[in-house]
Amino acid sequence: MARVRVTPLVVLLSASLAAACDAPPAAKGGEAKPAATAKAKGDAATPESGKAEAAAPEGKTYGAPLEGADAVTIAQVMDDPKAYENKMVRVEGMVTDVCTKRGCWFEMAGEKPGMKMRFKVRDGDMVFPPSAKGKKAVAEGTVTVRTLSLEDTKRFEEHMAKDAGKEFDPASITEPMTIVQLTGKGAVIRDS
Amino acid sequence: MKWRKLIHVLHRDIGYTAVALTLAYSISGLAVNHIDDWNPNFSFVETPVDVGPLPTDDYDVMQAHVVERLEIDPKLVKGRFMESETEFRVFLPEGQEVHVDIRDGKGLYKEINTHPVLYEVNQLHLNTIKGWWTWIADLFALSLITLAVTGLFMIKGKRGLGGRGKWFVGAGLLVPLGFILYTIYGA
Repeated sequence: MARVRVTPLVVLLSASLAAACDAPPAAKGGEAKPAATAKAKGDAATPESGKAEAAAPEGKTYGAPLEGADAVTIAQVMDDPKAYENKMVRVEGMVTDVCTKRGCWFEMAGEKPGMKMRFKVRDGDMVFPPSAKGKKAVAEGTVTVRTLSLEDTKRFEEHMAKDAGKEFDPASITEPMTIVQLTGKGAVIRDS
Repeated sequence: MKWRKLIHVLHRDIGYTAVALTLAYSISGLAVNHIDDWNPNFSFVETPVDVGPLPTDDYDVMQAHVVERLEIDPKLVKGRFMESETEFRVFLPEGQEVHVDIRDGKGLYKEINTHPVLYEVNQLHLNTIKGWWTWIADLFALSLITLAVTGLFMIKGKRGLGGRGKWFVGAGLLVPLGFILYTIYGA
């Protein structure tokens, strides 16, 4: 009798898989970042984030295998996102951040200080581990570009500040933010 | 064997077999339901560090300075990143990192640890393993369906489905049915 009563509860709990990811819907856009301070010597991120390899890269594949999209640098996309909007590209860079709640996105270092691009997959398709930080990723996906309203920009930055444990001053946000993100189905990650 | 006895046997033995995964999935379900409030997979440890100002604009030197001051084996360094004009990050194995302000050298040593057991059951529940685990998860889902259906017909009489049971089943049905109707017609 007891099991009979428990069963509906279990079914309901099992149906609760679609919890939202901690991540805001998209990546921090290049335009919202401080201008690169390229005076520093050495690369902003190592390993070098050069032009992505066209051949199938070595490493552990997460999700679908790469399809061989045209390789571009993160800087190329971030500097002129509209030129790549809705296009399938391959980029590579060092992983700097990973979604720790659902593992559904990671960010890659661009070729300039402070430059990052987020690679996002559908929740549950694959899980990127936090241990990927510092490793080199090669990712393919479609470039999406979205300009937020000023209010949404403030909410986005507030969320990011909260996640980072930083104080947030809404008055510091005076311009809407453009979000550039790579949305894909698979990536390859390897030790540098 | 009479059909009701068969139902009892099925419900009992499938129930025994499924109890471990039922608990694992239920506990994980509770944890994942509250993912907005806490991280069900990882805990984070942040230790303040002070490596002193980094009076240089050479990233190699900055990195060497950080690992030397914190007595970290340089071979462990996996990469580095200039997060902003003042924030420098050095990546270490297993998601650890040092994040310092280059102006005063103050920052955090960040570690990330999995919640023991809960992390593993979440991987099962969310089927991050894919492949062979999908088959087991499918089998478990079929087991739950069987338990639910056999549970309906365990008892006959006024305490069975034909008696008070139908009211409880109806009450339980209202939740998903109400949501479906609201989604289709109410929104």
